[in-house]
Amino acid sequence: MDFKLPDIGEGIHEGEIIKWLVKTGEKVAADQPMVEVMTDKATVEIPSPISGTIQTVYAKEGETIEVGKVLVVIQEEGKAAPAPKPEPKKAEAPTAKPTAPSSREVTPVATAESKAVPFGVLATPATRKLARDLDVELGAVKGTGLHGRVTKEDVQMAYEGQSAAAPRPSHTAVSSTSVVPHTIPTVAAPQRGALQTIPLRGVRKKIAEAMQHSKRTAAHFTYVEEVDMSAVVQLRASVLEEAKRRNVKLSYLPFIIKALIPCLQEFPYLNSSLNDEKEEIVLKGDYNIGIATDTPNGLIVPVIKGADQKNIWQLATEISVLAEKARMGKVAVDDLKGGTFTITNAGSIGGVFATPVINHPEVAILGVNAIRKRPVVKGDQIAIADMMFLSLSVDHRVVDGADAARFMNRMVFFLSEPTRLVFA
Amino acid sequence: MKTFDAIVIGAGPGGYPCAIRLAQEGKKVAIVEKDKWGGVCLNVGCIPSKALIHASSQFHKTQHLSEMGIQVGAPKLDMEKMQSWKGGVVKQLTQGVSGLLKMNGVTAFSGNAVFKDAHTLEVSGAQGKETLSAKDIVIATGSRVVGIPILKFNGKNILDSTQALDLKKLPKQFLVVGGGFIGLEIGMAYAKLGSKVTVVEALDQLLASVEKELVQVVEKKMRELGMTVLTSTKALGLKEKDPAKESVLHLEVETKDGKKTLEADAILVSVGRKPNSDGLGLEKIGVKLDSKGNIQTDNQGKTSVAGIWAIGDVNGAPQLAHRATQDGLLAAAAICGEKAYRDYKTVPWAVFVDPEIATAGLTEKEAKEKGIAYKVGKFPFAANGRALSTNEAHGFFKVLIDEKTESVIGVHIVGPEASNLVAEATLAIEMGASVEDLVRTIHTHPTLPEAFPEAVELTFSKAIHVFKPKR
Repeated sequence: MDFKLPDIGEGIHEGEIIKWLVKTGEKVAADQPMVEVMTDKATVEIPSPISGTIQTVYAKEGETIEVGKVLVVIQEEGKAAPAPKPEPKKAEAPTAKPTAPSSREVTPVATAESKAVPFGVLATPATRKLARDLDVELGAVKGTGLHGRVTKEDVQMAYEGQSAAAPRPSHTAVSSTSVVPHTIPTVAAPQRGALQTIPLRGVRKKIAEAMQHSKRTAAHFTYVEEVDMSAVVQLRASVLEEAKRRNVKLSYLPFIIKALIPCLQEFPYLNSSLNDEKEEIVLKGDYNIGIATDTPNGLIVPVIKGADQKNIWQLATEISVLAEKARMGKVAVDDLKGGTFTITNAGSIGGVFATPVINHPEVAILGVNAIRKRPVVKGDQIAIADMMFLSLSVDHRVVDGADAARFMNRMVFFLSEPTRLVFA
Repeated sequence: MKTFDAIVIGAGPGGYPCAIRLAQEGKKVAIVEKDKWGGVCLNVGCIPSKALIHASSQFHKTQHLSEMGIQVGAPKLDMEKMQSWKGGVVKQLTQGVSGLLKMNGVTAFSGNAVFKDAHTLEVSGAQGKETLSAKDIVIATGSRVVGIPILKFNGKNILDSTQALDLKKLPKQFLVVGGGFIGLEIGMAYAKLGSKVTVVEALDQLLASVEKELVQVVEKKMRELGMTVLTSTKALGLKEKDPAKESVLHLEVETKDGKKTLEADAILVSVGRKPNSDGLGLEKIGVKLDSKGNIQTDNQGKTSVAGIWAIGDVNGAPQLAHRATQDGLLAAAAICGEKAYRDYKTVPWAVFVDPEIATAGLTEKEAKEKGIAYKVGKFPFAANGRALSTNEAHGFFKVLIDEKTESVIGVHIVGPEASNLVAEATLAIEMGASVEDLVRTIHTHPTLPEAFPEAVELTFSKAIHVFKPKR
C-alpha cells in the first residue's frame, strides 16, 4: 500500500522528514513508528498502519513534503508485491488512517493499574468514566459534594483547568501520533583539533529560522524598568499553604500574567501582530500567553489560551502541566499555536536582565528577571526591597517607545501593589 | 485464511458478551468454542447447579409445609426427572446464546484454537482445519476443575462438580472434599434430597474468604440437615473396601483428634480450578503467564503481546462469571478505542447455600488493613416482616460504613435471597451512596430489602425494628 503523510494537525499542510526509523526492505509491525516528521514546532512519530515490509521510501531526511503525498510504500504481509510505481500520485486525501492508539499500544503489563481509582474516592461509575474520557486523574480532583464526593461537574471543572494544556485532538489522525522530542545528542566537547558537525534539524532548525526571521523583520528595541515586588512576594507567601493543599506549584508567573492582562487590554497594540504581506496590524481579542520554556531539546513556547478568563490556580496548574509536557517532549501541536503575547523568564537561571527576541508574528515579549533583595530609597531612607527588572522587547514598527514606557508603568502600578488588580 | 477484525476464543460468560458487543460496535467478529456454547457457567456450572439447588430446596420445604397447616404425604424423589428438567433449563439458555451470536452477525467456529502467530489462529474441529486471522484476539477460555492425586476422578463415584451435578441416582452417603462454594452448594443440595453428607475441609473454616459470623449461620443449618462438618481435616487416601460395610468408598482422613475412616457412595472433590491457558500456543507468541498459569493482563485486559487480550477466569481471580462478563465488555470497548478500564470498586459474589451468603465491598478485615475507620450495623432477618412471613427468618444484613465519608463500603448478607439483596448494596457502593441517601430511599414494605436501610440506621443506633441502647 501507498502510505501518505496523514493530516497531523489543524492547519498543517506539510512536514519536514527528520529521521527515518525504518529502511527499505525492513519489516514493520502495525503501529511501529516509521518516521519522525517535524511540523510547525513539534516533532511527531508516524506509525505504520499495517504489518508488512518497507518497499520504497520516497522522502529523504531533511526534505519537506506535503500532507497527502506518498511517504512510503509498504508491502502488506502475505500479499504479493505490487509493481513499483515510479511517480506517486499527488495530493490525494490520506487513506491510511492510523488506528487509535489505546487499543494497540503495547503497555507493559500492570502499568495501567496505577490508573485505578482509589477505593476512598467517592464518585459514581458514570463520573469515573467521564474522568477516564477526559484524562482527569480522579484522585487529584477536589470533590464538592457531601463528604468530598466528586461530581461530574467537578471533573468537568478539573478538565477545563487543564484543557488548554491538553486540548483534545481535533483530528483522529493526531491521536495516533505522539509528539516526541527530536533529540539533539548531548555531546561532549570534541577533542582538540577535531571538528564535529551536527545537522541543523528539528526543533533547533525551527528555532534558528524563527529567530532569524524575527530579527530580520521586526525593528527590535528593549525597554527596561524595575519594580518593587515585595507586596507580590508577601501575597504569594500568604497563599503557599493553600497552594500546597491544592497540590499546585505556585510560581510568580501567574501573578505576572494577572498584572499583564489589564495592561494588554489598555494597550491593545502590544497584543497584536503585523501582517507583513498585507501591511496590516491585527489587534487580537484573545489573550493567549506563550510561556518560553527551556527544554533539553531547545526553546519551546507552549501557549496558555484564554489567560484573561483563568484564575491564579488555573494559571499555575496550566503553567506546570505545559512546562512538564514541554520538557517531556509531549506537547501537542495545538499547544504551541495561537499565542498573542509571550513571556520569557530568564530570571530563574540568573542575570540582571535580558533583551528577548520577539516571537514572530507577535510584536512584544516580556522578559521576567530574578527577584533580588536590593537597597532602595524609600522616602529619604534606604530600605531593603524585593526588586525585579522587567525587560520588554517590542517591534518599533508597531509600538513606539512612549507606549512601551506607559505600558510598563502600568505593569509596575499593578505589581508593586497587587491589590489594585481587584479594580482592574 | 479468513480475516476478521476480532476473534474471541471461548463462548462462556466472558467471551460471548465480548463478541456480541464487538459486533454491535460494527466489528467483523468470529468466536471459537471447542466444547459447548455458554461455557462452564451455562452448561455445567452456575445455571445447572442453581436448578438443582432450587429443586432440592423445594423438595426439602415440602416436608415442612405442615408447620403452615398444609398436609401433604411424604414427597417422592424422581432423580431422573429432576435431571431432565435441569437439562431443559440449560438447553434453553445455551440455544439462546448461539442464537444471539448469530443474530448479531458473529461468525461461530466449533473447534480447538491454537495461535500460529499473534494475529493468526488455527482452528481444528469436526469440519477440519481453518486458519483465522484478526488484528485483535481475545482469550476467554476460562478455567477447569483441578483434582488431587490421592482421589483421581473416575466419572463413576469420585466426581468433579460437573459429574456431581449429573447424578441419576441419589447417593446414600455423599462425601465432599473441599469446603468451598461449590462443595457446600452441591453438598447441601444432596443433604436436602436425603443423602447423608459429610464435608471435609483442610482449613479451620468453611468458605475461608467469608466473614466467620456469616458462615456460622450456614453451619447451623447444615447441622439441622444432619450434615457432618470436619474442618482442619486432611484427606489421606482411599482404603480397601470393607466387605462388612455397604458403602463402596472408604476415605481415610486426618482430623484434629487423629485418623478416621469416612464412608461414601460418592465423593465430590472440589478443591479449586485452574486457568485454561495451556494448549493455546501462548508460549510461542510470548504471552506472559504468572506462576499459577494465569495470563497476566493490565486493567483493560491487555496481555504482554499487543493485540492479544485475556478476560475472565483465564486471567486469574476472582473466578466469577459476572466478573468475566464485565471484563469482556470492557475489553470490547477498549478494542474499539474507548478509554475503558476495570475501575469498579467491588465484584460482588454470592454462595447459594442455605441460607444464602452474599458480599459486596470490603470485609472488616480488609477495612482494617486499609486503615479505614468504620462503623458496623447488623440487622437480623428475625426482625423483618417478610422473612418471618415466608418462614425464613434466619441470618442478618450487615453493613460497614466509612466513618469519615459516611458512605457504604461493605455489605455482608446471610439470609433469604441474599444473592438478590446484594445487588442494591453493590449499586450503593459504586455510587458512593451515603447513610443519608440510603435511609431517605423508601423501600417497599413488606420486603427483604427493608433490611438494608435498617442495618444502615443501626450504625448510629436508630433502627426502628431493633432496640439498641445508646452508648
